[in-house]
Amino acid sequence: MRSIRTILAIAVAGSTALALAACGSSSSETTSSTKATSASAISTPGYPSPTTESLGGKRGGTLEVLQESDFEHLDPGITYAALDYPVVFATQRPLYSNKPNSTEPTPDMAAGPPEIAANNKTVTVHIKEGIHFSPPVNREVTSEDVAYAIERGANPDVANPYLKTYFNSLEGVEQADGGPIKGIETPNKHEIVLHLDEPKGQLVADALVLPLTAAVPKEYAEKYDKNKPSNYAAYEVATGPYMLKNDAEGKVLGIGYVPGKSATLVRNPNWNPKTDFRPAYLNEIDIKIGGSEPVIDRQVLEGTNVVQNEPVPQSGVRLAAEHYKSQMDISPGGGNRYVALDNKVGPFANIDLRKAVWAALDRVALNKERGGEVVSTVATHFIYPTINGFEQAGGLKGPTGPQFDYNEHPEGDMAIAEKYIKLAGYPSGKYTGTQTVQVVGASSPPEKEDAEVVNQTLKNLGFNTKLTLVEVSTMYAKYCGVPKEEIDVCPNVGWIADFADPQTVLDVTFAGKSIEPVGNVNYGQVDNPKINKAIAAAEVVQGKEARGKAWAKIDDELVEDAAAVPFDWEKTPRLEGKDVHGVAMLWNEGAWDYSFTSLK
Amino acid sequence: MIRYIIRRLLWGVVLLIVLAVLMFILFRVLPTANPALLRAGRDPQPKLVKEIEVVLGLNKSLPVQCWDYLKEIFLHFDFGYSYYSQESVRSLIAERLPETLSLTVGAAVLWIVAGLSVGIVSALRRHSFLDRALMGGALVAISAPEFWLGLVFLFLFASDIGKFKVFPGAGSYVGLTSDPWKWFTSLIMPWIVLASGSAAVFARLMRGSLSETMNEDYIRTARAKGLKERDVVRQGVRAAINPIVTLFGLEVGVLLGGAILVEVVFDIPGIGELFYKAIQTSDFPVTQGTVLLGSMFIILANIVVDVGYAYLDPRVRYS
Repeated sequence: MRSIRTILAIAVAGSTALALAACGSSSSETTSSTKATSASAISTPGYPSPTTESLGGKRGGTLEVLQESDFEHLDPGITYAALDYPVVFATQRPLYSNKPNSTEPTPDMAAGPPEIAANNKTVTVHIKEGIHFSPPVNREVTSEDVAYAIERGANPDVANPYLKTYFNSLEGVEQADGGPIKGIETPNKHEIVLHLDEPKGQLVADALVLPLTAAVPKEYAEKYDKNKPSNYAAYEVATGPYMLKNDAEGKVLGIGYVPGKSATLVRNPNWNPKTDFRPAYLNEIDIKIGGSEPVIDRQVLEGTNVVQNEPVPQSGVRLAAEHYKSQMDISPGGGNRYVALDNKVGPFANIDLRKAVWAALDRVALNKERGGEVVSTVATHFIYPTINGFEQAGGLKGPTGPQFDYNEHPEGDMAIAEKYIKLAGYPSGKYTGTQTVQVVGASSPPEKEDAEVVNQTLKNLGFNTKLTLVEVSTMYAKYCGVPKEEIDVCPNVGWIADFADPQTVLDVTFAGKSIEPVGNVNYGQVDNPKINKAIAAAEVVQGKEARGKAWAKIDDELVEDAAAVPFDWEKTPRLEGKDVHGVAMLWNEGAWDYSFTSLK
Repeated sequence: MIRYIIRRLLWGVVLLIVLAVLMFILFRVLPTANPALLRAGRDPQPKLVKEIEVVLGLNKSLPVQCWDYLKEIFLHFDFGYSYYSQESVRSLIAERLPETLSLTVGAAVLWIVAGLSVGIVSALRRHSFLDRALMGGALVAISAPEFWLGLVFLFLFASDIGKFKVFPGAGSYVGLTSDPWKWFTSLIMPWIVLASGSAAVFARLMRGSLSETMNEDYIRTARAKGLKERDVVRQGVRAAINPIVTLFGLEVGVLLGGAILVEVVFDIPGIGELFYKAIQTSDFPVTQGTVLLGSMFIILANIVVDVGYAYLDPRVRYS
């Protein structure tokens, strides 16, 4: 998801895979029939999953959390990483949040669902009474605190990474620099109105689940936000059931959070359970940062009162699958992965050559490299399970029909590939052009193996290739994210949605308007006028069902255009100690939800 | 001697400045990723990237950035702030230095005692079964990567995940002042793992050096004069130890800059682990700070070693 580290390390970014497992369910409970249908399609049988876990638990106790990596940012206005979110969502309450087993937003600080005006240009949210900030602020939260939280996102010293992606239609946001934003109105202490200059109310309403909308007390935070960069995180206060341990002045840094070493969550004395849906069973959460994954995996599987909170490496998955099956929670909805082919220049500007690669690629082999069916599903299109629009886009099977023959054989079909190579103008059925194809992949497993499989497929089709394997951040920063480098094939890129809307999967990754000279995430430089037009139209569609349908159609068109070759829908495993009732976040790569997790 | 030390220290400062400039070029001019781009999220808007560059001071010209950087380091001993936690790099390093010192000093004592003892015994019992066994063992210790050896120790002897629950495992480190006994027990395995490779090298070096020395004419003369064998060996060891001292100084210097693998495997939050995490996240101020610190330790260790020669070997005189 959002996470820089996740982007670089896992080759995807972001991860709040909100979204509906199937389509159209309005219930956040696992008992709905829609959920059951989708769960059977996307969950790994025999393992706990967020879709099947009970939300009940026993009150009390201290949970120990082991994680190799440090947090990136715990400031609610900056945070954008799957690893940060368990702490952020246990300590902060945005306007809306997700129950752990759901991808449907639930009112959190909001008193009810967002009210979207008929013209789709105004979003009104009423805020609950009786929510207080943790010490040392202590006072009640008002709509002005939410307004300040959003406004400070535009402060360059805070620099929220998604404000201008999802809230760019907010009036005055483009000129905002941390001061009041014209489009934010607070008519009274418990009401906030967002005025938009484009009819994108549904997208903005969906984006209210992001932590940017968690209240920040201006009179307390302002002095920290004046620092370059803001150090509010070192003194941040909470609205959720837990707070980072602090001193009387509110200082967190070095007390509740010691960078690279630990974080300690304790109960927020000002939290009022009557205003919250979180049960908050645990008394304390002690997070230990550091160590190495092989050791952490064993410490958790053989330990007590302990969980591991990062995606598990293959060795850990194997160990758990063989000996500790009930202690590995596997969450679907971990994003998609695909082979990006340069649609703009080079041989893959030819659609038939792209289809040939799709037909020839052994996607089953690629998934085996990633750990097989336990943690992976062969992808047939781009909108992945748990995202609204997945079923409309063809579900597990994907779009069908003779025009999609290249998608029918996930183990690869050279005969169909040769057919498309001939259609591309190479009568022998092999590519005979002279151009050497540049393939740039990541050097770490399993991305390295992915790259080698893709490279071999290209060779089998007759392409001369030059395979370059580099560190994953270099792959993005210097090659795949820089259009002028003209990399023909990036064999392992992907994406994870930020929230329950398919736009967050397909928009910036495939819209022509999103191509940037650096930091480009439309890796294949897909700039198809027909798809661009459909994207522009879908962006302003209102209503979950309608949006799912509109974006599913775009997904079909991307497949028909062979804009890239999807090969994997990720599932993310997490490990828990035998006496822990871990409850994972379906919407956040299966990270543990500390507000629902308990000790047995 | 004093003049020599002052001269070496001044050269050390010059060397550090050169290293700081080199690191600036490495991390700021030839980076693998623009930190502002990383900080701007996964759909980095150009305007946002520019704003973050201003906040991080990356918008200034490279020479200005370099000058500011050198000025802060050498005039104020300020390495800047972490891009992520916004904590001062100096504080981050200071917080972790006790862990790295604990690890290094303990391991150094262990490897010098074990390495010299094994080397001396092997040299005095050359070609015996004991010599072959000890040198074979040393070869194994040299060949075993620290990361692997650390994992083997943990899976065998850690009290939480080991087959034989003997020593506290990974993540059990506590500070010396908070609980000296726990501090000691938590470091036993890391010390052994960290010391094993160096001890083996020392043993082999000592064996070779002492074997050679024991064949020198003056040793034969000493024996002919009726000196006790123990005194003869003492003279031999003193003469043979010079190359070991050089290596010892260098290794201690390197480890004070962070024993990365051992710190990571045993989850000891020292300088090495800080450096490792900073590299992973392109947190350049932290990376630069830890590398400079490591360089400083190596330079200082070299000076200490050179001065130490004068005391160990009367033939060495500096002017």
